[in-house]
Amino acid sequence: MYGRKATELVKEFASSEPGQLSTFNNDVFAQVLEECNGHLLHLEPLMMNIQENENKLRDKRSEEEMGMSEDERGNSEAEKMLIQSAIKSDQFGALIHHLSLLRNKRCLMAYVYNRAEVIRNLGWMVDSVLPEEIEEKLSGTEKEYFKKHANTLQSYMAEVDLHLTVDMVPPKDPYIKVRVLDDIGEVVLSDQVANLARHAIMFLRRTDAEQYITQGQMEELTS
Amino acid sequence: MANYYDIDDILAEEELIPSVFQHDANGVGLFDSSDDTNKVEAGSRVELPFWLVRELYLRQFISIRVPSCFDRDSKTREEIGADAAHVDLRSRCPYFYELGCKIAPLVGDKTIGPFLLVAFRIRYREVLIKAHTLTLAVAPKYLTLLTNEEAKLYEAGQSSIAAFKKWRMGGPRFQIAPVLGRKRKLT
Repeated sequence: MYGRKATELVKEFASSEPGQLSTFNNDVFAQVLEECNGHLLHLEPLMMNIQENENKLRDKRSEEEMGMSEDERGNSEAEKMLIQSAIKSDQFGALIHHLSLLRNKRCLMAYVYNRAEVIRNLGWMVDSVLPEEIEEKLSGTEKEYFKKHANTLQSYMAEVDLHLTVDMVPPKDPYIKVRVLDDIGEVVLSDQVANLARHAIMFLRRTDAEQYITQGQMEELTS
Repeated sequence: MANYYDIDDILAEEELIPSVFQHDANGVGLFDSSDDTNKVEAGSRVELPFWLVRELYLRQFISIRVPSCFDRDSKTREEIGADAAHVDLRSRCPYFYELGCKIAPLVGDKTIGPFLLVAFRIRYREVLIKAHTLTLAVAPKYLTLLTNEEAKLYEAGQSSIAAFKKWRMGGPRFQIAPVLGRKRKLT
């Protein structure tokens, strides 16, 4: 059945968790493209046939206008019916191929478009470099797309001089409760001098704690 | 027409409709690849996906039968009439409402619209109640009855209940800043 592969592709996207990507399915993608070429190969001879038959029909008509006997007229009527029916069959086949092409196109476009949307959102969630395990799921063009999108975002943020990707949800409290995971020692923070010993639990300014957390030296405690 | 890129819309149009070819079609090895003639004869019965059916039907190349779940005297209608909330629509057609809305204007069956509405109204109430009350253990079993759209409503209901409960209890005092949650998610 036509369009199966393309639907498979869309289904695959639909079944992945929202906001997450699965590996770009090069195999099926290429197969669908191949199917499209196949449709085109089928479509062309059909269109030629239609053209030819229509020409024949026109010839017949002009012959008729020239005048002919009753007998000939009957014959040519029958022939015309045959040709018309052949045209209709060809049109039918051509239409099916045409619709299948449109369908395949829609599926491919939807696949690429929806993935691109996820990738754009990633640009807001991670900084300009993708983690490896996500990057290997992208196709070449998608990688480039992400890079360009991230660059655009960066240059915009530089322009307005504001780091937009930080804190998509406004923090309720400037302080957070953290547990220190490593012996860091005495540190001067923005509002206090703290002794960050291992296993200590303390309230720190979020901005102070962030750098330690990203380095894995602290973890946030949520109540 | 719905959004061109809408995944659900695309999948809904993949549902099969029983159809009969009214005319020969050339150059189409559609259904049986072992067939060398590469031609579909008039009168062939096939199930075609909806995206193919719409255009072909409008041009009168094929005739269609309404899928059994929308049919006027089908079992589904009787069941919906009896107790809509517990009919397993998912196995019949996961895009029940979407497909119904698409097919009703096509075949001009005036009874499909009200039928969908009745089914949805009753089932929607049940979905909301179930979203409140079902425990985690029973929920998967109930979810297998729902169409895709209903399953989304169910999830939406559940998450809003969770949000309401959180609000009523006061919720945690601190919101996790996304920057902080990130590091641990990746490892």
